[in-house]
Amino acid sequence: MNGEKRRIRVLMAKPGLDGHDRGAKVLTLGLRDEGMETIYTGLRQSPEKITQAAIQEDADVIGLSCLSGAHKYLFPRVMELLKQKGIEDVLVVGGGIIPEEDIPFLKGKGVSEIFGPGTAIKEIADYIRANVRR
Amino acid sequence: MANNLEEIKKERQEWEERTLKPALKRFNLEKSPTKFYTPADVEDFDFLTKVGFPGQYPFTAGTYATYPYRPAPRRGVVQAAGLRRASMYSGYGAPEDCRDYYKEMQKRGQRSGPNLALDLATQCGYDSDNPIVRGEIGKTGVAIDTLRDFEVLFEPFQGEMNLDRIATNITINAPANILMAMYFALAEKRGIHLNKLAATPQNDILKEFIARGTYIFPPRPSMRMMRDSIVFFTKYTPRVNITSIGGYHMREAGCTREQDLAWSMAILEAYLQEGVNAGLDVDSFAPRISVNAFGGDMEFFSEVAFQRAARRMWAKILKEKFGAKNERSLLLRQSLMYAHMGYYNCTKQRPLNNLARSVVGGMASALSGGPPNCFPPYDEALGLGWSLEASQLSEDASRILQYEAKLTAVSDPLAGSYYVEHLTDEIEEAGWKELEKVESMGGIVAAIENGYIQRELAKSAYKREKEMESGDVLRVGVNCFVGESELEVEVKRSVPHPYDAARREEAEEKQIHNLAEVKRNRDNRAVTQLLKELEQKAKKEDENLIPQFTECAKAYVTEQEMCDVLREVFGEYEAATF
Repeated sequence: MNGEKRRIRVLMAKPGLDGHDRGAKVLTLGLRDEGMETIYTGLRQSPEKITQAAIQEDADVIGLSCLSGAHKYLFPRVMELLKQKGIEDVLVVGGGIIPEEDIPFLKGKGVSEIFGPGTAIKEIADYIRANVRR
Repeated sequence: MANNLEEIKKERQEWEERTLKPALKRFNLEKSPTKFYTPADVEDFDFLTKVGFPGQYPFTAGTYATYPYRPAPRRGVVQAAGLRRASMYSGYGAPEDCRDYYKEMQKRGQRSGPNLALDLATQCGYDSDNPIVRGEIGKTGVAIDTLRDFEVLFEPFQGEMNLDRIATNITINAPANILMAMYFALAEKRGIHLNKLAATPQNDILKEFIARGTYIFPPRPSMRMMRDSIVFFTKYTPRVNITSIGGYHMREAGCTREQDLAWSMAILEAYLQEGVNAGLDVDSFAPRISVNAFGGDMEFFSEVAFQRAARRMWAKILKEKFGAKNERSLLLRQSLMYAHMGYYNCTKQRPLNNLARSVVGGMASALSGGPPNCFPPYDEALGLGWSLEASQLSEDASRILQYEAKLTAVSDPLAGSYYVEHLTDEIEEAGWKELEKVESMGGIVAAIENGYIQRELAKSAYKREKEMESGDVLRVGVNCFVGESELEVEVKRSVPHPYDAARREEAEEKQIHNLAEVKRNRDNRAVTQLLKELEQKAKKEDENLIPQFTECAKAYVTEQEMCDVLREVFGEYEAATF
């Protein structure tokens, strides 16, 4: 390290079979404009593949997007796999169509924050900058 | 036009100087916030070529001579509840759960066939017991693995609602031919001849590569599947629509109005060409291509113009490019949803505002040749599935537009408006321009393969987001009017959704169990043999696979077993990332 701070690396991921990736794509471009390095996994990624990609890409942040209603299985599964690999310092945030009442459950599983429809890119970028753990 | 255009132009200049300018000065405005249109903005306007009568070429004024609006109820007459809800997109859980839902809806007055939502595993060609679909079973719709599941699901549809008496809609796309084959197998088992069946599969695979994402095979073999649908349905199931198509999903995914129009038309052209290449007369199958929805945005006049332009383009493509002679081929037939607010415009913030937004969409629809439907129910952004209360308000809003505001009393009431005619021409022209661009690349399939469409779509979606952030596009309660003086209106949804949440949670385990039982009880040797035959037939480009799918379905071959054979032969689509 030469003392210069490296850019925050974000892996935008679509777990499960949901094909609605407008939000994931927009954030991939938007966080890039906010000065972060972003990688988009593409559709239909298993939690295993996402975890693998996060390790390979040395991601500081994983953004999980799901609009199919399968978030209650998929998001905790990603958290579980990260834990199994001994990765505790990656910030995981989520978005999509997530009912209010599911948010405490997801946070209990280790997802840091859920951003719903209408959230500005800047708000997400600021949150990431304030909460990134490495 | 009787007006002297030169005189109008001259008068306009004088008006700007003498009347407009002083007004701007008085209000301290640099530029006028309003525009004004005159006959000079539609110089070559000719009523018969540009608009015509409703139900006549070029169909600008409407697809049909009149829309079959439901007559007003007499005082005191209460219409059966749930009649319209019946055809709402619905389905959840295991087939048993969904069956019971339809039984319940029939008790509430449903007399029409189901408009089936399937879960993502089914839409992507996976069985419920595949580990990679964990968490998805029964979520976005009902899970279907084998014919057994259709047998259970369609139990409530017997007698006066048997398969030859109802129309069934299935949103299925990539594996459409397999699911339709299951439906055909079910009909055969009930002794119903295929030519009696009425159904509409959403079998619009090309837009899945652009939006929505439930593709399986690469574009070319997917088009072969489409050819099979066109040829088989035309020959054997004349009352089954080949597919419903339409740009609504692409608009939801972020494309612009013009891209929506152009890419939808490019998709239409690709399907038409596929049928023609298979040796069919265009008039023999074009009338069986319907539209699920086009467009969707808050900009009222633009969406009205869009609907008018879309009908005109559709008719021109069929008549001028494909030489269709049958009037029915020229009709852009939409189902329930015409112009509307755009579901992506629904906000989670102060969600009841979505009701106001949906009314704007309903008005646009009623004034552009559609029903006054106010879609979607206001709680769209709050989670999967609508509450009955939200659905009630949506339905009431439509009734108010029709019976109280009388918006449906005149067909195409904005025809002849200088502004709306100008806008219609403008949108149509932009549509043709983008369509020509796609055609110059070799058509929509090539433009998907080379990534052009996907790239442009992402660009448009991002541009829109930037406009939201800069305030060029405003959403009340989201990026404006969010200060402390605003009241955060909370809405309680006390009426439970008719889907049983507990059953939805248990559906995955139940369906895995159901599937295991089917696999135990079927003749597995026959299954192996049928799949081997399927493989051989799939390798022959000219072979129509639907009869083989039907044989497989009757032997309880699973959806994924059939898809896996095709995955081997056709390959799988890998979307380019960026």
